[in-house]
Amino acid sequence: MDWMTWARENTDPDQASWKPEALSDVLVLDCSTGSFAGLYASSLLAEMGARVIRIEPPEGDLARKMTPFGEFIQGTGLPYLIEGRNKEHITLDRGQSQGATILKALAKKADVFIETSPPGWMEAHGLGYAALSELNPRLVYVALNTFGQSGELSDTAKKASWHCYDTVAQALSGFVSTTGIPESMTAFPEHTRVPTRMGNWMGWYAGGAFAGLSVMTALYVRDLTGRGQFIDISPAEALMCLNNYALHFYHMTGQVIERPGNIEPAAHPYCYVRCKDGMLFLAGYADPNWKALCSIIDRMDLVDAYPTVKDRTDPQKAIEIIAEIEKFTLQQTREELVALWLAYKGPGVTVAGEILKPEETIELEHWYERRALVKITEAPWGELLIQGTPVKMSETPPRIKWVCRKVGADNEYVYLDLLGYSSNKLAQLKGQGVV
Amino acid sequence: MTFRSMEELFEQGEALKGVRILDITRIILGPWASTLLAELGAEVVHVEIPGAGDLLIRAVGPQGQFPRNISPGMMCASANKYYLAVDLHKPEGLDLIKRLAASSDIIMENFKPGTFDKWGIGYRQLRELNAGIVYLSMQGFGNWGSLATRPSYDAYAQGITGLAEITGFPDAMGVKSSAWIGDFLSGTVAAFYTMAALYHRKRTGKGQFIDLSQAEVLLRCMDWTWLYGFLKKKRRERFGNRDMAVVPSCIVRVEDGFVALAGFSEAEFEGLCLAMNRPDLLVYKPIEQRLVEAETIYEAIETWARTRKTGEIRELGERHGFAVAQVMNVKDLHQSPHFNQRHSIWKFDDPLWGDLCYPMALHLADTPGRIRWSMRPVGFDNEYVLRKMVGCSAAEVAALYENGVVGRWNEQMAFTKPPVGWDGQQGLLFRE
Repeated sequence: MDWMTWARENTDPDQASWKPEALSDVLVLDCSTGSFAGLYASSLLAEMGARVIRIEPPEGDLARKMTPFGEFIQGTGLPYLIEGRNKEHITLDRGQSQGATILKALAKKADVFIETSPPGWMEAHGLGYAALSELNPRLVYVALNTFGQSGELSDTAKKASWHCYDTVAQALSGFVSTTGIPESMTAFPEHTRVPTRMGNWMGWYAGGAFAGLSVMTALYVRDLTGRGQFIDISPAEALMCLNNYALHFYHMTGQVIERPGNIEPAAHPYCYVRCKDGMLFLAGYADPNWKALCSIIDRMDLVDAYPTVKDRTDPQKAIEIIAEIEKFTLQQTREELVALWLAYKGPGVTVAGEILKPEETIELEHWYERRALVKITEAPWGELLIQGTPVKMSETPPRIKWVCRKVGADNEYVYLDLLGYSSNKLAQLKGQGVV
Repeated sequence: MTFRSMEELFEQGEALKGVRILDITRIILGPWASTLLAELGAEVVHVEIPGAGDLLIRAVGPQGQFPRNISPGMMCASANKYYLAVDLHKPEGLDLIKRLAASSDIIMENFKPGTFDKWGIGYRQLRELNAGIVYLSMQGFGNWGSLATRPSYDAYAQGITGLAEITGFPDAMGVKSSAWIGDFLSGTVAAFYTMAALYHRKRTGKGQFIDLSQAEVLLRCMDWTWLYGFLKKKRRERFGNRDMAVVPSCIVRVEDGFVALAGFSEAEFEGLCLAMNRPDLLVYKPIEQRLVEAETIYEAIETWARTRKTGEIRELGERHGFAVAQVMNVKDLHQSPHFNQRHSIWKFDDPLWGDLCYPMALHLADTPGRIRWSMRPVGFDNEYVLRKMVGCSAAEVAALYENGVVGRWNEQMAFTKPPVGWDGQQGLLFRE
């Protein structure tokens, strides 16, 4: 059997329900508040089969309200619908002492505890790692906050009760300072030539991914030692780790990597250029490949003007080169340009690829074949299109079992199952505003 | 608060001690996945070809700079690994890979789909040698599907997913992150899935094949883009430094730089209105109102911030409870007491290169991540790997060199070599 057929047959997401789940013996409590870093971390675990109990305050978590232009379905925002996957949703006011007591009872049974409160908040309510690990030494406890759980900024965040926000993490990480259009590209309006945040919640996702990895690592260690541990993840630091060589290089040379627009400072052209109907990715940076690129746009004069890699990666010259290439590309569409590059048969290798707008990306069949995007119809939300999982696995494939649940939808089952609460007791707690 | 010293950190256990990874990956995506696990204690053998090594990343330095012969491009996705250089086009080279695979827990590769299968070292063949092997294949678009044969680069992944088109300002152009985020973020989640597979193996003894797509990772992390597009049939535009789903959460220009601030709960927003001395904005206290009137709120904040200094806004944030951070550049980070106290800015003496600095975010209290050494020259640890791990005799190693199956760096290429003036010994982990 050829490789691709084998790979497809053995990792087909539609066959997932015939296979076991890697984390089916793991119970996770996700107490995150208004942070998709926590929610993404628990999604990773839930997709791999962990039982994730999502604990919200009685009125629902702030994260349910985070949604563009006020788009809600039945009171829940779009991002939360996506990140509610496979989780059982219960409510609990952990700020009340009775709520805190109940949370401790749940933590006694749990393997993993996720929280994103301001530093010190959990301790102040008797729910910090020290308290919970005394009840349950096997607990893996991950605290996610932009400023971390120690250090002078953390002390400030503790005093000022600063929550875990994506934009703040992006700024603090150094990532924003290396993203965006540089001052020197004067063709663009002044207010657009500034340090720029990533359009998505990159800080939160980075933090969530580091938290997921750290939790899995701690669970692995726990199998050997019998003990859980405390994990301190700062989404800002996670994103800092993903910012190429900026820090390493500064330490060695004292040079600060500045935001380069769509240019790669270490290889040029390896960049985006503008064309008639959008942008195009272009690569042709080694000398023979640069020649190939120049020959396609019929500008062999540029080969002489910028003959070496050193010439081309000079920041000022790099911008000049873009301007020269764009004289050509701005006259044509992405489709025409890609066809032109594919038709090139001369020496050297140069690559062109179209930059898509989201409404174009969403049309690509590939994502649907691989269930990277999935359509699910589920009450009470209706028909939705959400992201699937970016990985296919042969033995324990990740999967999406349900999209999301309403606030408190699983109260009855979870409280009965884990703590033996009768419906009378639950009604009483509800009356007191605890659940 | 007291902070742990480097010595105290090293006294702690290593989570993945005893886990062996055979890392035959290139550029960033694969090398970063294995670096994370190496920072957590795994023993990682990084395989390159003799001579130039992984030229596509070793040759990457800003404006062609390779300080001390270090490749900045490779360095940032390399730590704590053993460097082996093997010619995979020779049958003896493939034999060596199989011998290493037999005693490894994890194999990582990011060659084109099916390449390793064709060479006889794919998952189908290696699982016969080692039923418990976790085999991670990292691709631009995965090992199957209609785009699977397309080559991928980080910048292309950022482009085809639409990530670049939703980043930046509406009246300029879409921008990609200059960081190779398609590689780094994907490598991070790849490490997560690898650990999940290892956890399963511990219970069942079974390894497995993992097929990870870089583009799909970026797609997954584009929050509300797809659901919004599907339901509203509208394009997600670019919104510059404003978060349209969390209002307010933004980056603004201040007199002396740029500052991020955010306050989404009603209490935090109220604090911000007080700080700005704009009680009139309190009509937007209900969140639903703010999301609809985001434009008005952001304009008010931007106008207010423009004539203020970073310090003033930070103080107001402390007093009124909305979160604030300066837009840090790398110099700010390097000098920041906060990150240095936490060893998140990890400064250390490399056994080969001298003083270096890495970022570090793996703060597990009992098994903290750590950096022991940076990247190393091509084939620098051949002897360590062949003698200690594979168990070759000295004569066998000599024959492997003789036949060109293993080799070292290329003297003509600085970024493949040890530092200038290297004494032939420094930094070696196994000396004959």
